[in-house]
Amino acid sequence: MATVVQVENLRKEFGNVRALDGVSFRVDAGEWIAIMGPSGSGKTTLINILGGLDTPTSGQAAVDGTDVARLDEAGLTRFRAEKIGFIFQQFHLVPYLTAVENVMLAQYFHSTTDEKEAQQSLERVGLGDRIEHLPAQLSGGEQQRVAVARALINHPKLILADEPTGNLDEANEDIVLSLLRELHTEGHTILMVTHAPSIGRLADRRIEFAHGRLVQAAATSLKPELA
Amino acid sequence: MMFWRLVLQLLRGNRGRLAVAIVAIVSGAAVISALLNLDLGVQNKLTQEFRTLGANIVISPASGAPAHISDAEVPSLMPEHDVLEVMQQLPPTQVAAAAPYLYIVARAQNIPVVVAGTWLDQAQKLDATWKLEGSWITSRADDSHCLVGRNVARRLHLAVGNPLELHYLERSAQCSVAGIVDAGGAEDNQVFATLRAVQSLANLPGQIGVAQVSVTGTAPVVADYAARLATALPQYQVRPIRQVAEAEGALLGRIRLLIVSMALLILILTALCVLGTMAALAMERRKDVGLMKSLGGSISRIVGIFLAEVGVLGAAGGLLGAIIGAALSYWMGLRVFGTAISPRWEVFPTTIVLMIVVALAGALPLRMLGNVKPAEILRGE
Amino acid sequence: MFARLLGESFARNPRRKVLTAAALVIGMAVTTATLTIALEVGDRLAREFRSLGANLLVTPESDTLPVEIGGVDYRPVDEGAYLNEADLGKLKTIFWRHNILGFTPFLDLPAYVSETGGATTLIGTWYQHEVPVPDGTKFETGASATHPWWKVQGRWFGDGADECVVGAGLAQKNPAAFAIGKAIHVAQNSGSGSGRPLLITGIISTGDAEDNAVLLPLSVAQEISGHPGKFRQLFVSALTKPADALAERGERAQTDKNIQLTPTEYDRWFCSPYISSIGFQIRTVLPGTDVHAIRRVAETEGRILTRVGTLLWIVTLAALGAAALAVAATSATTVLERRAEIGVMKALGASNALVGGIFLAEQVLLAIAGGAVGFFVGVGMARFLGESVFGTPASPQLILFPVVLALAALIAMIGSLVPLRRAAHFRPAVILRGE
Repeated sequence: MATVVQVENLRKEFGNVRALDGVSFRVDAGEWIAIMGPSGSGKTTLINILGGLDTPTSGQAAVDGTDVARLDEAGLTRFRAEKIGFIFQQFHLVPYLTAVENVMLAQYFHSTTDEKEAQQSLERVGLGDRIEHLPAQLSGGEQQRVAVARALINHPKLILADEPTGNLDEANEDIVLSLLRELHTEGHTILMVTHAPSIGRLADRRIEFAHGRLVQAAATSLKPELA
Repeated sequence: MMFWRLVLQLLRGNRGRLAVAIVAIVSGAAVISALLNLDLGVQNKLTQEFRTLGANIVISPASGAPAHISDAEVPSLMPEHDVLEVMQQLPPTQVAAAAPYLYIVARAQNIPVVVAGTWLDQAQKLDATWKLEGSWITSRADDSHCLVGRNVARRLHLAVGNPLELHYLERSAQCSVAGIVDAGGAEDNQVFATLRAVQSLANLPGQIGVAQVSVTGTAPVVADYAARLATALPQYQVRPIRQVAEAEGALLGRIRLLIVSMALLILILTALCVLGTMAALAMERRKDVGLMKSLGGSISRIVGIFLAEVGVLGAAGGLLGAIIGAALSYWMGLRVFGTAISPRWEVFPTTIVLMIVVALAGALPLRMLGNVKPAEILRGE
Repeated sequence: MFARLLGESFARNPRRKVLTAAALVIGMAVTTATLTIALEVGDRLAREFRSLGANLLVTPESDTLPVEIGGVDYRPVDEGAYLNEADLGKLKTIFWRHNILGFTPFLDLPAYVSETGGATTLIGTWYQHEVPVPDGTKFETGASATHPWWKVQGRWFGDGADECVVGAGLAQKNPAAFAIGKAIHVAQNSGSGSGRPLLITGIISTGDAEDNAVLLPLSVAQEISGHPGKFRQLFVSALTKPADALAERGERAQTDKNIQLTPTEYDRWFCSPYISSIGFQIRTVLPGTDVHAIRRVAETEGRILTRVGTLLWIVTLAALGAAALAVAATSATTVLERRAEIGVMKALGASNALVGGIFLAEQVLLAIAGGAVGFFVGVGMARFLGESVFGTPASPQLILFPVVLALAALIAMIGSLVPLRRAAHFRPAVILRGE
């Protein structure tokens, strides 16, 4: 099985604070990993580094063979465009762009825009009739589905989701989670940060963080543990 | 294409926020374009106003004074024909007025009096500030009328309509006083008649003593014409009258400088308004920038979109403002100078470019957005 | 409590405050600068126009007719009336004495110059001369003030010295005799002996009759003509205000008995530096004179000054408008972007009036502070502008200080009111959600 993420002794310090204190783990292709822990435990910092949004103080973090720790600004920019698909808790859609334009934005920064492809990706997440809507005209769940479509459009090697249902009500939460399950079935590699055990149980593996360190990695009962 | 789509959506989506910047740019552009249009118009109009100061080029014989002291001496002369022919060569649009003069000292009521023979229609244009009681002599062939200065009228007890007898050597001539001149200068002590009449009285047909020309234009233009005339009339003296040209030049310079300074101040204020708006806008856009960076947008591309947005704002606002400014300058020309000042096409691109520059200058906060750290922003407050 | 809230509001987000303050300072600085210049510009431009030379002519009232061509009087010395040089100091005692920038007497006489072998006109005048004023001071004046375009190659004659400046026409005809450093000999007529030697110190070219004459100090001309202490005509350069309806009435009232000014009208006319009222005042201290405006100069000046004045006021208004916009915009955007704070305060139970009051007070205080600093910056700007445009710095008009502060407060209030009124309708929940 191909290794998508390889983290070795990752450290991140913010001044005197050690957000990550020597973290090591591995993620294989097709795995759905839930990263859990109390707030301040370093999970968001980890996601940010893996997503190329932040650089580590020391250690290695390789995604699809590329060590983000060694990339310069330009390299990180390309990395974000090509390898990663982000799903944020607060959706972060651009308020003055329509749904399809929000997806095309990701295409724009990657290479070229293809409105047809973007439309199809929205249909895929069940928003075929909302293509020209502005985020203000969409419910929370619909906005997050647009964000998912956006995350997928460039066929990323790794999907990073930071509390993807944190801002959603129960009904919408279900919709988005089943969407993630579909992606998982299709073979996408997903790293999801969550604090809710019920959501964490949906993943193949759970990695627990506390004070910047791994506490334990536990498999769920839904998938066999991978060697 | 996506680029321009993004720019357009940015502008549409932020209409409200950008309102202040738009108003600032449009009004700044309107004022600047009005001032630019006025600048040349003001110069032209003022230069014309200055023409009422009188002649600014004088042509006289190379030798001697243009007049004599006693009526026993003959004045230095030039043939009328020579001089006037050359003066015809000057472009008529530039010549506000031109007149030949022949001065003699005749006697009236046994008192020596300066008599000036000239083309009175032109003299009237040369000295537009004369106040006249009575009426002008409009025909160059009208030998029967004359104008007298107010001091002459007082001294010789003349009123409009009175006859005046002039004696020169053994000759004499009669004319009727058509008007009394109040000039506030040497003219108040002179008698004016047609050139032909004076030439006939002095028995100096076809001769003149001096020619005065009033040329429209700034000092260098006047000097240029004087030089041209001098080359065409090498046997005579052609000189610019310095009193007028220098003062005019200095004054015009000051006024223009003042207008330019004001325009500059207004540009600065416009940039300030834009800056203020952009600073507020930048605060709101930090999330969007963080997001775009997370999507793999590079700083240059992201900032490029914002700068294009601002540039379009500047261009569109500049165009609208330039149109308003053209109308404004038209109105101001009417209000201030009594004649319309037509807008010049060069002002449009100049204003647009200026406004784009101003808008980009004020967009500094947007440029600084490039330094946003996506991790911090996307975390959520 | 209000003051405490206000104080805390002030202390937050200093960087934003700096930008706001900068906008206010610059906006009010520009306001100050443009108003300072606008108040003075009429005066300064009028001064500029004095480079056109004299605008008033004083001649003896009962005079024979001057035989004047090209500005030079060719009458024999024994003909015609004269004025007294000794009276001239009184010109600096009239009500508008500070507006009398200069005056120059002239005595033209036909004389005999050996080097031309014939009659040549002498023009006696002052270039720079000290006139004793009745109050004990001295006033320096002369052609340097009333004929500023008279430029010489070489230098001007010394006051009262046996020196002279010759016209370029004379120099051209006889360059050997009429050169700087040579002496010419002048006498009243050809029979009076060898003539008085005068050193040529300069050559003048004006384009007018002076080019064929000899200019020399008035005192020397007086001696040669045999009329010591006398002169024929006086050119005066006065700083005037453009003529309007009142000025014209005042002028006509001088000659036309049918036109009378009421006492208030008379006061206003007398106390305004119209050319007619200054002329009237000169005639009062120099009896027996005819004082007349040199129309060409006076009217051109009046017309141009009026027009340019109007133009500049329009430009000033535009600049003021821009400044007002900048200040209002700054206040407005400040309020707009602090919607979150407003939301929080309202969520905590603050009434619209209280919230509005705090923000309004803050913006007005900030504007006043910015206005005060802006005033001083503006004074500096005005000085610089005045210097570069007119050559002398513009003096600060202290009366503008309260005006500028009041304007700043007013504009900030108006600028803040619009977004504050909108904020009054904000639902706290909407704002706090971050939309």
